[in-house]
Amino acid sequence: MLSALLGNSTPDHHAKELALREANRRHAKPGRGVLVKVLRCDGPGKATRWETFKVTTEKGMNVISALQQIGGNPVTTDGKATTPVVWDSGCLEEVCGACTMVINGKVRQSCSCLLDDYAPSEGDTITLEPMSKFPVIRDLWVDRSRLFHNIKRVKAWVPIDGTYNLGPGPREHPNAQETRYKLSECMSCGCCLEACPQFNLEADASKWDSSFIGAHAISQARLFNMHGTGKELAMERLEALMGPGGVSDCGNAQNCVKVCPKHIPLTESIAAMGRAVTLAGLTKFFRS
Amino acid sequence: MTQTDAHPGFLEKHHFILRRLHSLTGIMPIGLFLISHLLTNASIVWGRFDSREAAYAHAGAAVYQKEVNFIHNLPFLLLIEVFGLWLPILFHSALGVVYAMSGKTNNSRYAYQDNWRYTLQRISGYVGVLFIFYHLATLRWGWTFLIPGGTKWSAEFAGSTMALALQGSKEGFTFFGLLVSLFYLVGVSLLVFHFANGLWTSAITWGLTISEKAQKRWGVACLGVGASLMAMAWASILGFALLDHAKAEETERALLGQSQAEVQPHTPSDLAQSAK
Repeated sequence: MLSALLGNSTPDHHAKELALREANRRHAKPGRGVLVKVLRCDGPGKATRWETFKVTTEKGMNVISALQQIGGNPVTTDGKATTPVVWDSGCLEEVCGACTMVINGKVRQSCSCLLDDYAPSEGDTITLEPMSKFPVIRDLWVDRSRLFHNIKRVKAWVPIDGTYNLGPGPREHPNAQETRYKLSECMSCGCCLEACPQFNLEADASKWDSSFIGAHAISQARLFNMHGTGKELAMERLEALMGPGGVSDCGNAQNCVKVCPKHIPLTESIAAMGRAVTLAGLTKFFRS
Repeated sequence: MTQTDAHPGFLEKHHFILRRLHSLTGIMPIGLFLISHLLTNASIVWGRFDSREAAYAHAGAAVYQKEVNFIHNLPFLLLIEVFGLWLPILFHSALGVVYAMSGKTNNSRYAYQDNWRYTLQRISGYVGVLFIFYHLATLRWGWTFLIPGGTKWSAEFAGSTMALALQGSKEGFTFFGLLVSLFYLVGVSLLVFHFANGLWTSAITWGLTISEKAQKRWGVACLGVGASLMAMAWASILGFALLDHAKAEETERALLGQSQAEVQPHTPSDLAQSAK
């Protein structure tokens, strides 16, 4: 009962959803007709509209291949001819983050989203929307510039560029390496931002520097502050996280960690950077 | 360009320290006060089991009256109230509203328990501010037009006038009284949640709990704190809402008689009277 009160911890949550999808996959048969409902938009600032398409499933079909089938014959279920649906994609193996969209109300990558998991029966509907926290370029394609801008705010890189050879970097302990490996799996897809109630659409780029930075950037700051050479910029990263829109703007809704496709412990990173800025703040207050 | 670039506003310039003071004031002094306040109020119930006060018509009202007397005899009470409570609460509320406005809830899509607590933390903040204002205005500042029945709360008749403020009349509940009692139940419950959940999130904010396991463990502790405070809160409200007004007033008169008998004359009018 206690665990029910305390709610779904991350592993439980993933286990539940994965079990549901697996059950769906077992009973799904190829060749069935499923409906793909898409929130469409012809360009930045233009009106949106829903369009539904019928897709005949093939074995192992994902959302991308469904969109490709629609693109081959872009006619809605009402019989109206329309334009092919536009979306962004890159690797098609869930490591680049480009094809992230909102599927059946939740954010995830469309390439790893199988129709068998989401629409296992004849006539089932799968709903596709663009991410709502970034400006739409067209249909399901959004402009994620702010996400990358926020990575720059915390200087999430190792400063080794220069005019002479700096020699080998310091050795790394396996414990730190293990923690950092998990953090390094972030692909900057934007799932954590889409699900975050504190991160909201901001069209005015001049306000990006003072708006909430997001879980991904906080976790990247932790990753590079733990790196032997990356530490050089530790104070600069902490200062960015102490400013407006920094780590203390987190509202602890903890949706980020539940939607992260790489299961990165984002809430642990937020707490770890909370501790780091607490110590930095105390040091600043009492020493400098 | 916005003012954030060249001339950062006050909130932005002192962003970190203000955020941390917001977190700190929620626990200390406000949270600590909440604990002691609920413990005091719940004495209307736990006081009934105090055998030393069994001679009074209502032992709970006697213990509660003595607790109130202790507080009202504290030196510099107004200074304690203004700087220890009212200003910290005003600070925590004002910043809290600003911070809460920066978020946009999404529970219909992400119906996780943590996310519901995020939303409830903000709702309980908004309702809590209204409740605390009503609570102070009616019982501390004496805005009797907002009190059902219009009886002013009195420090000498603490229990009986509190019962009137919740029930509406000496004969029992009026409709207005019932509404106020319900508002108390909802307001205080939300504030207890707000404190317990805030205690949990503050450990993440300050970086005390880092691992998911530690966060969960501290969550159990905060649940314990919240449940205990909730029990005290409900006991207090039920205790006053169902208090026998006549018995409480009889107890308070008896206590007042004792203290007046003990008091040495010290005001000019007292001296004048004793000279007669």
